Amino acid sequence: MKPIAIALVLFVSGSGAFAQIVGGTIRGTVRNPDGIVAGASVQAKQQSTGTTFTAISGKSGEYTLSPLPDGAYEISVPQLGITSARFVQQDVVVQAGKAMLLDIALRKMNQGIVGDDNAYLAIHNKYANVRGPTPRTPDGRPDLSGIWNANVDPNPVPVSLLPWAADVMKVRVATNFRDQPSNVCLPDDPTPTLPLLHKFVQTRTLIVQLFEQEPHYRQIFLDGREHPKDADPTWMGHSIGKWEKDTLVIDTTGFNDKTWILFGEGLPHTEMLHMVERYRRPDLGHLTIDLTLEDPGTFIKPIERHMTWELAPGEEILESICNENNKFESNAGIN
Amino acid sequence: MRRLAIVVALLVFVSTGLAQSGRGAITGTIVTDGGDAVGSATIQAKDQSTGKVFTAVTSKTGRYRLADLPAGTYEISVPQLGLRTSRYAKPNVVVEAAKTLSLDIALMPNNFGILGDDAGFLQMMNKYADIKGPAPRMPDGHPDFSGVWLANVDPNPEPASMLPWAVAEWTRRRDANFAGMPTATCLPTDPTLTLPVFYKIIQTRSLLVHLFEQDPHYRQTFLDGRGHPKDPDPTWMGHSIGTWEKDTLVIDTVALNDKSWLLQATWLPHTEMLHIVERYRRPDLAHLNIDVTIEDPGTFIKPVERHVMWQLAPGEELMEAVCAENNRFEENAGLK
Amino acid sequence: MRDTFRLLALAIAATVCAGTSVGTHHSFAAEFDITKPLTLTGKVTKLEWTNPHAYVYVDVQDPQTGAVTNWAIEMGSPNGLTRLGWTRSVLKPGDAVTIEGSLGRYKPNLANARSVVMTATGQKLGAASSEASR
Repeated sequence: MKPIAIALVLFVSGSGAFAQIVGGTIRGTVRNPDGIVAGASVQAKQQSTGTTFTAISGKSGEYTLSPLPDGAYEISVPQLGITSARFVQQDVVVQAGKAMLLDIALRKMNQGIVGDDNAYLAIHNKYANVRGPTPRTPDGRPDLSGIWNANVDPNPVPVSLLPWAADVMKVRVATNFRDQPSNVCLPDDPTPTLPLLHKFVQTRTLIVQLFEQEPHYRQIFLDGREHPKDADPTWMGHSIGKWEKDTLVIDTTGFNDKTWILFGEGLPHTEMLHMVERYRRPDLGHLTIDLTLEDPGTFIKPIERHMTWELAPGEEILESICNENNKFESNAGIN
Repeated sequence: MRRLAIVVALLVFVSTGLAQSGRGAITGTIVTDGGDAVGSATIQAKDQSTGKVFTAVTSKTGRYRLADLPAGTYEISVPQLGLRTSRYAKPNVVVEAAKTLSLDIALMPNNFGILGDDAGFLQMMNKYADIKGPAPRMPDGHPDFSGVWLANVDPNPEPASMLPWAVAEWTRRRDANFAGMPTATCLPTDPTLTLPVFYKIIQTRSLLVHLFEQDPHYRQTFLDGRGHPKDPDPTWMGHSIGTWEKDTLVIDTVALNDKSWLLQATWLPHTEMLHIVERYRRPDLAHLNIDVTIEDPGTFIKPVERHVMWQLAPGEELMEAVCAENNRFEENAGLK
Repeated sequence: MRDTFRLLALAIAATVCAGTSVGTHHSFAAEFDITKPLTLTGKVTKLEWTNPHAYVYVDVQDPQTGAVTNWAIEMGSPNGLTRLGWTRSVLKPGDAVTIEGSLGRYKPNLANARSVVMTATGQKLGAASSEASR
């Protein structure tokens, strides 16, 4: 049964207002090792129906999910940027008229190194109040231009891999992702699943996407051209975009098999990889992305991910030259 | 017999005409070291006493004619074409009135003439030699510099005058065969963007983006009126802002680190005081004229100037170029 | 509210979280050992403000022997640190710092930093707090 997303966004205010409402409550404070966490989305998914409810933690880290129908819930906070791991707790039981106190302690990810992500949460909170209608180009299309603070899918569905790929993943995990290409300044994941800053520059015939990881840019051709026949396979592939009303559908083929894909997972793939991204800009501050990845040589069924990126208009893409002082091989005992 | 008489008559007539105007000509064919014709290339004759410059363009078969040259002594030159051929310069070429001098030129290879070492510059030059039309404009009336451009070198590059430390450093680089060049280990390209390679420009009202196949693959030039940041971190490419002076875009770049090597084939050192000003003009559809001024009081005794003209290559596209994927330079250079 | 319950936030699969190697842009787990946490106090000798990772070098004195060793401490990228409020001049040679992080796997005197605190004032540099830093 497809989960129905119902967003009930509630902020902590006087508790008296909610005392009359039928239904249960889950409330608490979100923290990480550095302190309280404001601006985190806490999701309650009713385990029997898949219905979701979301609250956002306030300035003191407090959140309230109410009113919730009776039942058992999975409570989750998505991965935030790079250094904050996804939190999941299942079987949280809610009863009408009762309040459950659930304090959430987010853990660090990738060893929680200072400066390792782009201050995701600070940027997310800084621009939380951006409001306005979808900007449009002179020919009436949504304009996707802007600096975007990318985000992860809050409900990632696990991937089913063919046996060879599952074996490769065992080796990658066992060796601590030592052979990941981006460790030695080669291109990173070409899918839009990295929770870093991306800049879109849109003209009528082209979108240029700029980003801080290698190879720093992607061109998305909007001029009606098709994919070239028998192109050399490349790290980023060849991307063409077509408008379907207000949705930009980007189709990418021509990948080589060298990138490790899906942020945080580092999956292998073949040259058959085919990526379809559907971008919508429902309002000024948000970019929603529905991603489908097909590769019959690797994935048993297509992978889907759904992200919402947030506008960060005061930020900028900064120069980032990985090769200038990379000590990875030396540190990892390879050289 | 009659035909011959007419031909002789014409030659006499032409010679008499030339003798009366005191002008001569130089004609010939330009080929690469491999014998391939060099078409659509500009050859220059510079009068060594007056400095006056005359140019001609070779036909698709490499033939040129520098006509109507006042009698005198000239330096004949062909600029470096792409990365594949070296600059050709022959001084002390005497042009006499009423005489046509024959000068066939074989361009020497540059950088070993390795196959595929440049972007097929010679072929590209020919392929797009005939594009005509007015310069396109943005909705707000400013020139639109967007397009895929085949960049070119300055046909008359003036040597840089450098402070003693910079001369010593440059000499060290040359004696080491330029082994320490940053791009050899996949580090960023010359921030003056004057390599004879492809540059793609995407222009919006508030931003100009250059894309290129060398690291770091893009440069942003902000057209939205912002100034340079206070106390920016020095970077390889610096911070670039553009302002309009009528139909000229003036791009000002500061906040450069001291690590890049400047100006292709010269590879100059510099300090963090480097300040680059580029003036872009698009006189017609197919051409982009760029005047580059490079100042650095910590390195150059006077500013270095370069004047280049880029050629539109509308059927071309930038291609992915991931330097690090199999770079053997250090191994091959005996550095590892 | 009547009948409030306090639920402990159970750390789900405790071994899986911070210690798991993650396929992020730069796999720290291949270079550093999360099971070997350490705290170092010493004086900054150098800050390398470079990509892909900034490094701070710290002279650490052995409390027993008095011998001083220079440690290399790896952090995030200059851009990541800048967005947390660092600048390239925030650490100068001679500054006393306390570093918490993990020990390098293969190289001696190498660690990474989860936090950098100025020893004199107790100020944590650019803590990854969720408050907007500007």
